[in-house]
Amino acid sequence: MGELGLLSNGVNPVLLILVPLGLAFLVPLIGFISKKIIKYIPVIAFLFNLTVALTLIPNVLKQPIVVKIGGFAPPFCINLVAGPIGILFSTLIALAGLLVSIYALSYIKEGPTEKYHMLYLLLLTGATGVVLTGDIFNLFVFFEILCISSYALVAYLGNKAGIESSIKYLIQGSVGSSLFLLGIGLLYGQFGTLNMADIANQIQSASSPSIFVPMVLMITGLGVEAAIFPLNAWLPDAHSSAPSSISAILSGIAIEVGLYAVVRVLFTIFDASNFLMFFVFLGVLTLLIGEMSAFSQKNIKRMLAYSSIGQIGLIVFAVSLNTQYGVSAGLFQMISHTLGKGLLFLAAGYMIYRTASMDISSFEGIGKKMPYTSLAFTIGTFSLIGLPPFIGFPSKFMIIKAALAKEGILFTVLIGLVLLGTVIEGAYFFRVVQVIYFKKGNGNPERKEAPITGLIPMFIFVILILLIGVYPNLITKILNSAASELLNKIDYIRSVLG
Amino acid sequence: MDFLSNNIYYIGAFGLIFIGLFIILVKHNLIKVIIGISVLETGVNLFLIAVGYISKGTAPIFSKPGINANQMVDPVPQALVLTAIVIGVAVLAMALSLAIRLYKHYATLDLRKIKEQRW
Repeated sequence: MGELGLLSNGVNPVLLILVPLGLAFLVPLIGFISKKIIKYIPVIAFLFNLTVALTLIPNVLKQPIVVKIGGFAPPFCINLVAGPIGILFSTLIALAGLLVSIYALSYIKEGPTEKYHMLYLLLLTGATGVVLTGDIFNLFVFFEILCISSYALVAYLGNKAGIESSIKYLIQGSVGSSLFLLGIGLLYGQFGTLNMADIANQIQSASSPSIFVPMVLMITGLGVEAAIFPLNAWLPDAHSSAPSSISAILSGIAIEVGLYAVVRVLFTIFDASNFLMFFVFLGVLTLLIGEMSAFSQKNIKRMLAYSSIGQIGLIVFAVSLNTQYGVSAGLFQMISHTLGKGLLFLAAGYMIYRTASMDISSFEGIGKKMPYTSLAFTIGTFSLIGLPPFIGFPSKFMIIKAALAKEGILFTVLIGLVLLGTVIEGAYFFRVVQVIYFKKGNGNPERKEAPITGLIPMFIFVILILLIGVYPNLITKILNSAASELLNKIDYIRSVLG
Repeated sequence: MDFLSNNIYYIGAFGLIFIGLFIILVKHNLIKVIIGISVLETGVNLFLIAVGYISKGTAPIFSKPGINANQMVDPVPQALVLTAIVIGVAVLAMALSLAIRLYKHYATLDLRKIKEQRW
């Protein structure tokens, strides 16, 4: 059988993990031949991944592809499950990975660049593995690949702030991973299996106290990486001290993948509909705390990092509504956040580079000096706030609509709080836009734009933000199938175990 | 006494886990915190091994006739622990190398004095 090549129904999804992983280990070897070509390797890898993921989408929408890695039927071996949600996320990861690696071609000049590109490949390999695997321990391993490479990349610049944030991130992240592993051990002790579908199948007959402890341990462990309040103390430091290209990936991909893992564990493994009300409150709390902290920031990257916490809160809120429409809205908001925040960090990267300062006040008059970058930044902020015709509008609109469908005074109050968060978000983002365009800079008004490799990815992000913003129907189908994959665990179990 | 002897591995594992968490939360020296992480990981690994262990069990190989499959130790947790140990070594190496760089910047490992980044 075609283990590595073609399956009967299209390309084998294992290539999505295999190609970047293999290229990551080839990077040091290729470095012996030529140092100059290394930076093109991630571009090639993610171009390949994006092509594979896009060609897989039609097949996966018909039926999830289950790949048996060792040749044994599930539940006895590690298996990959390329369902709608897995393929949705791998497309998103490959897309963001491709655009950011184009950006890094000219942005990453200093330091051990070959290690940067290797770790970058590993980080996104880990992320792809997490979303595709169907085995809980395999998920842990890929998660650790993601975490360890992001610890290293946060410290890439080697300055005071980078090292300090990296060590904070490492301490919190490794405690989280240990708790997650402990939860896996407890589940294995009870059910004797590591296959997620098999655990989900057997857990229906288990007593609730005996699965509550592993659930709490696993959610706490994964919540550290997903930056759910109160486990997110590392995030603003790590995201603001990393190089801007890495901040874009950490904000756009890493926390989203963490959140995917939380949602997968909550919905598929544990049938946690009794606890989801708790997560609704947690989401609103995370949203308000993130937005209010962002409001008081003077450092642009810290502001964007806190804004990510706010967005995570919004996604948690939407997903925990536990309705088909709510879960699709949450997934839509994840896509919208990846595109919007990726664009913002990329644009901010060159604005910081040109002004040599992260202070928002130093961006005065930059709208004349870097018109394209400033325009991209402005579009990113408008999209995150939720103004039409950008992608943020349909996604936020869907969330509000999903919450309105849940009747009751409580949800009206919660929607009010969510809208309050959006108002705060609007206030601090408009302040930055005002500084960029309407404050006169004291320096010379000489135009110095970002290089072309920096502008191309920003341009593509802007195109996507506009395109999906105007035609949200383009992705509704995959969002709906992804949401039903999460909500109908019977179908998931049946498609894996046969 | 029976309870103690039956569950001695679990007691030891959770003892190590709580000691590790205590060190991480209470100590201020970075090296001690890293040791705490290591102790915590050891506790989790011991727990995983204890899950699959059978008292007086044999290796899961049909090496001689007459070996009963019920008496075999579960090999899966051991494979998990092997992987977890490797991951733990990577995290430990990463943490220690960061500690060296941190010391070069601040000339101290006291986490109370390292407060460049704030909320």
